[in-house]
Amino acid sequence: MNKSNHYSLSTYHYLKMSLRRQLAKIGALIWRRRAADDLSEEICAHLALEERENRQLGMPGEEARYAALRRFGNVTQAQERSRDMWKWQWLETLLQDMRYGLRQLRRNPGFTTVAIITLALGIGANTAIFSLIDAVMLRSLPVYDPSRLVVLRWSAHRDRRGPINSSSFGDCDERHGAAIASGCTFPYPLLQAFRSETEVFSGITAFGGPDNLVLGGNGQAMMARGEIVSGDYFSTLGVKAAVGRTIGPADDNPAASPAVVLSYAFWQSAFGGDRLVVGRTILLNSVPFTIAGVAERSFTNLAPGKTQDLWLPIAMELRLNVPWATDLQSLRNWRVVLLGRLAPGISIQRAQAAADVVFRSDVLHGSNPVWQASDNPKIELVPAQQGLTGFRGFFSTPLYVLMFVVGLILLIACANVAGLLLSRAAGRQTEMAVRLAVGAGRRRIVRQLLTESVLLSLAGGALGVLFAYWGVRLIVALVSSSPFGTFPFVVAPDWRVLAFTVSICLLTGIVFGLAPAFRSARLDLTPALKANSPASSLSRRGGLFHLGKSLVVVQVVLSVVVLMGAGLLVRTLRNLRDINPGFDTRNLLLFETDPTLQKYTPSQVQSYYRELQQRLAALPGVISASYSHPALLNGSLTATGFHIEGQPEKKSVPSDTLNIGPGFLSTMRIPLMGGRSFTDEDFEQAAEAAAAEEKAAAAQSKTSHRAAPAQPAVAPPAAALVNQTFARKYFPGQNPLGKQLMEPVPEEGGKASSRKVPRRSWVIVGIIGDTKYENLRREIHPTVFLPISRGGAHFELRTAGNPAALIPSVRHAAEIMNNNLPLFTVQTQTQSIDELLFQERLIARFSTLFGLLALLLACIGLYGVLSYEMARRRREIGIRMALGAEKADVLRMVVGQGIKLALTGVVIGIVGALALTRFLSSLLYGVKPTDPLTFLAISLILIAVALLACYIPARRAAKVDPMVALRYE
Amino acid sequence: MTRESSDDRIELVYGSLDMLILRTLLWGPTHGHGIAKTIERMSEEMLKVEHGSLYPALQRLQQEGWIKGEWGVSENNQRAKYYRLTAAGRRQLAAETSRWERFVRAVTSVISPAERGSG
Repeated sequence: MNKSNHYSLSTYHYLKMSLRRQLAKIGALIWRRRAADDLSEEICAHLALEERENRQLGMPGEEARYAALRRFGNVTQAQERSRDMWKWQWLETLLQDMRYGLRQLRRNPGFTTVAIITLALGIGANTAIFSLIDAVMLRSLPVYDPSRLVVLRWSAHRDRRGPINSSSFGDCDERHGAAIASGCTFPYPLLQAFRSETEVFSGITAFGGPDNLVLGGNGQAMMARGEIVSGDYFSTLGVKAAVGRTIGPADDNPAASPAVVLSYAFWQSAFGGDRLVVGRTILLNSVPFTIAGVAERSFTNLAPGKTQDLWLPIAMELRLNVPWATDLQSLRNWRVVLLGRLAPGISIQRAQAAADVVFRSDVLHGSNPVWQASDNPKIELVPAQQGLTGFRGFFSTPLYVLMFVVGLILLIACANVAGLLLSRAAGRQTEMAVRLAVGAGRRRIVRQLLTESVLLSLAGGALGVLFAYWGVRLIVALVSSSPFGTFPFVVAPDWRVLAFTVSICLLTGIVFGLAPAFRSARLDLTPALKANSPASSLSRRGGLFHLGKSLVVVQVVLSVVVLMGAGLLVRTLRNLRDINPGFDTRNLLLFETDPTLQKYTPSQVQSYYRELQQRLAALPGVISASYSHPALLNGSLTATGFHIEGQPEKKSVPSDTLNIGPGFLSTMRIPLMGGRSFTDEDFEQAAEAAAAEEKAAAAQSKTSHRAAPAQPAVAPPAAALVNQTFARKYFPGQNPLGKQLMEPVPEEGGKASSRKVPRRSWVIVGIIGDTKYENLRREIHPTVFLPISRGGAHFELRTAGNPAALIPSVRHAAEIMNNNLPLFTVQTQTQSIDELLFQERLIARFSTLFGLLALLLACIGLYGVLSYEMARRRREIGIRMALGAEKADVLRMVVGQGIKLALTGVVIGIVGALALTRFLSSLLYGVKPTDPLTFLAISLILIAVALLACYIPARRAAKVDPMVALRYE
Repeated sequence: MTRESSDDRIELVYGSLDMLILRTLLWGPTHGHGIAKTIERMSEEMLKVEHGSLYPALQRLQQEGWIKGEWGVSENNQRAKYYRLTAAGRRQLAAETSRWERFVRAVTSVISPAERGSG
């Protein structure tokens, strides 16, 4: 008795075990497991019922069970066979559908080709733009466990009080508003304070820059961007060396021997990937550094788009003579970004609370408080992935606009292919009716048709990936003239791009396949079977045709929207290019140089510039040369406030400033409107004043802790030029010549009154023509031009011919003077302007491309639906012509029908565009989002092209021979 | 397991099980055991159904969408899956029944040609 019980139990047990094993083999999808459990429960229930019945028939317990099992047969086999049913059914139907679908697609090569190319364009455009978005926005930081890495941000109700040197290099967003200020650069000493929080941070590190450095000792001197990092930078990030070692804490010590780590890309480009560079000595701003190693290849940068060539210890920066690398220990120098790695198990909130306490006590009650309690300074920890924005924002707007546009393109492609499928579905009505009649389930038919459309979209997707590959290369090539040089992101398809493409393939397959599939499955059988002639089932196909028409209208609407956007963006670009910047931008060569990096004194700098200017002007092909700081239309700008003589003492007016060298106005061809230009004496005076200030500042820094409340004197006025806007705005109705400008009185509350340097002053000696400054979009502001007296410079060369052709001789001329002073950002003024217009060019070019694509697709759609309609109405047209209709009547009828569709689309499209283009307003220049001219022009273009698309099927219809048409069928 | 068909019961013709299951369910929803019993009872115990062979068939019919299974409680208070006929199943039954009848007529007329003349 026991034995038999045992037996049956083990059978039941075995049944479940074998099930599990089988499932594990298959891969155990959840639903399958559940279905299998269901099945075994079901069989158990069956056996129990049978056993109960047997017992009721009088069998003893174990015998009843035996009999039940016997009656059932092989339990395991029954289960396996049942499971086979699922596998079979599922796979077989799919394979069957696919085989059938492929056959159908092969049978209609014309349809299939058009559909696949249409889809490939749509999917390809989406994949291309998405892979850029992926590279710019979504790629995770190339460090160990990036999710635990946080960036520290400060915020307060107002900006820091007192004189602060704050610099950021675009690692994250900064705000200097009136109500709220925030940023992510800190004084270096705060790092030490945060380091004590070992409980919440397993590591915390600082970096800053990059600084522009002159790299020597490796052939021709060149510029290199060096980021300064604290000793635990690489260990905190978890970044290893590809060759040699990374910088460690021992290197970050003023007494250590200077070491540097190269980035992988720089190692490849500047050192040819030579593994023997480790241990070699290079010169950075003439200071010898030993190459410790090369960072691993994947570690390109932290903030997106921001790259550097090498990393050096923070402690070494002071030796480099970088202009702003003053006392790192000062709490007034806010210039390093702090990154923390959260300790295991510590939440970001907890770490934030701990960091906040440290921060507040330091900035409110430390040796040098910069806020008051009421300013409510606080620390926020942001995951580094989001916090380090870098140049992401610069690329994100164009990319989002383009993503929206390609999304529309994909919709158009879907509508287009759906229209094609629909016309084909009409031809397949008989087939469907037969299949329904022999008992195919409607669901099965829908699935069959969807399999076909998904096959189409997958084929389109495969081709689309190819298109995307070209598209990305095209875009990256275009981006190579961005302000960041080459595209500073790695565009490589990863799982996200793959998942995106596959999902849009499936989605489009379903979207464009759904409507036609349901149409077909909802077919009314009898008439479709009985009457197979197009003429007799005309009325029943009205619905199909209606859907086809709506799809065409949808395509026209969407392409109108895309084209309107493109039109506005193209006009924006045109407007910007047509701006007269106030100087002659043609035949102008620009470059930068900075002798201060090689320890030139201010007077040496000025004589170097003068000599270089003379040598360059003497070059054949050069008309004249000058220099300034910064340069016009170069993306940079300096601005300050001026106190105007005669106005209330505390009042100052904002103005842009530009420091210019001799001959600047004539070289740039900026007209002098009144007064005089700078003379040699003006430049000498400015140079002397600069030297005196430098001396005073040096003296002051030695005695900086002694407060000197003496009121500063006013220095003798130097010469200044102002632009017309300055004259108009600040001296309305007066002659500004001879008027005095002064440095504004320092703000109260700050400690600036300790300065001993006399207050600077200027006298306006000339008025010059207005010019654009930072970029083309920015309005012309009041601008003061001062004689250049210090720092690096941008050189401008007016050339007789192509400026780019002069680059070698210009470089040679500079090398003769000092071959340790590299020229950098050598480019023509036109290139510089193109870089400024990068966003506009990118968006305008691609939206035009996509707009034309949309137009093409819509026309194919229109053409397709009309051709189908003509084929359907052949007989009717034949009758009409037999009854005396002229060719012209038929032509007019067909074209009229197409134009009606196009017009409907255009009208709805205009409404849609009116609603959507206002989101573009921040990108537009000199054109309203509802610009009537653009709207009119686009509408006319669209209607003209639509006419053409209608004309071909109309001509064919008009050629119908009534006799043939009537005899047909 | 070896076959022990010493009795005079008939084995099912290939493919006819589906039809029988569908026909059984025309009476109303029931579970696998109930189907087996009904087939045996209705054929006056002439048709031999190996209970285990029902389950692959039930899965197949479900996949085709002809029947639908739902969990319920059986007469002995155990959870059991009840199957019911769908509209598509009804249609399928009608089609198969007519096919079967034609098949039977054809086979009969071949085997007993005498009847054909009288009919």
